[in-house]
Amino acid sequence: MASSAADAIERIVAGNRVYAQKTTEQDPNAFADLSKGQWPEILWIGCADSRVPETTICNCKPGDIFVHRNIANCVHAHDNNTAAVVQYAVGALGVKKVIVCGHTRCGGAQHSLNDHDLGETLNTWLHPMRELRRKHKAELDNLPDDDARAVRIAELNVIQSLDVLKQHPAVTKAINDRGLTLHGMIFDITNGQLRLLEESGGRRANVGLWSPS
Amino acid sequence: MAGQDPKEVRKYLQQSHDRIFENNRKWAKEHVEKNPEFFNELSAGQEPDYLWIGCSDSRIPAEAITGLGPGEMFIHRNIANLVCNTDLNVMSVVNYAVRHLKVKHIIVCGHYGCGGVKAAISPKDMGLLNPWLRNIRDVYRLHETELDAIKDEEKRYDRLVELNVVEQCRNIIKTAAVQQSYKKNEFPIVHGWVFGFKDGLLKDLEIGFEDMLKGIQKIYDLSTE
Ligand SMILES: [Zn+2]
Ligand SMILES: [Zn+2]
Repeated sequence: MASSAADAIERIVAGNRVYAQKTTEQDPNAFADLSKGQWPEILWIGCADSRVPETTICNCKPGDIFVHRNIANCVHAHDNNTAAVVQYAVGALGVKKVIVCGHTRCGGAQHSLNDHDLGETLNTWLHPMRELRRKHKAELDNLPDDDARAVRIAELNVIQSLDVLKQHPAVTKAINDRGLTLHGMIFDITNGQLRLLEESGGRRANVGLWSPS
Repeated sequence: MAGQDPKEVRKYLQQSHDRIFENNRKWAKEHVEKNPEFFNELSAGQEPDYLWIGCSDSRIPAEAITGLGPGEMFIHRNIANLVCNTDLNVMSVVNYAVRHLKVKHIIVCGHYGCGGVKAAISPKDMGLLNPWLRNIRDVYRLHETELDAIKDEEKRYDRLVELNVVEQCRNIIKTAAVQQSYKKNEFPIVHGWVFGFKDGLLKDLEIGFEDMLKGIQKIYDLSTE
């Protein structure tokens, strides 16, 4: 155990050295530029799942995306943690877009298909998602299998999270003052592709992702 | 953007829309070309060795700076990488990572030049951010003598970034999930690191996990189920 544990850490320390070296080789001023500050255009609220690394899957660079990741990309109304992230990103940094991104094969969504005991902490965190299941029971029952049901719960959860976000004072103000836009997406782990949720804007019209309404 | 022709704005926004999706398609295609089974393997499930608790700052994408690929690191990022014991959000992440995914390492990673830490030591009402940033002011109070003795403002602020990371490591070690898992399995091990923009390197604060755990359990012993 001891030796393999040390190897796991050595591996990412070495990975970090390669990253630093490559970055400097490509652009000798890269770190000097990064240390001046950050001006991200996007706030990403995504799942903690290791298979959905936002900057990697969007082929973006350090500095592009401000990030909050939690279990099943939930935005709950009384959560100080997410509220602080949103306040800082939208209010202080002035990001132009907020993305809430769910994904297929999400453990949080799968665990929301039933009420199995996950311990008090996780039961409480997932409660709103499990409520979504109860609320949309008829629709979910009609789907062919649990994979499809978990995807639909993930979608419903993204839409609900966007609704909660719209009530955040910094978001409300930024939408009115400077046209901040909110977008719901699903990352499909089975093919690596991002999909825009068209109903996340509150209407089913086929709106482009960044088109100001 | 203010004062621009709405058509121009629309065009500009449309371009950044296309960019993200184009980038994503390109990324997916490259992976399939290299390994046709890549996404099938990814779909089978995740078994990450690491949990990373880092700052939301856009300049520190955890996977990129450690050279890890999709599936290898479970991630929580918030303002100034805090672990507060009453925060259901971070506690759910720790619980899931330790009890369900059985991660071997937990890394708390702060960074020099952290805007969250800077905001927390500004004598200013930050509204909604107050309750969150209060935790950093508390870290300052715990180390007031040491920090006040540092005359150079930049250095004092760098030191607060480090002390904040150490304090958050303590907060993780105080959880029942970590103590019980470590007693049973001898993992996870908690590490405190700081990322520096000057050279892009990670600095290990060498918190000494085992001794820290022992010290903490004198008062916060939750290892017995
Ligand atoms: Zn997930
Ligand atoms: Zn920071």
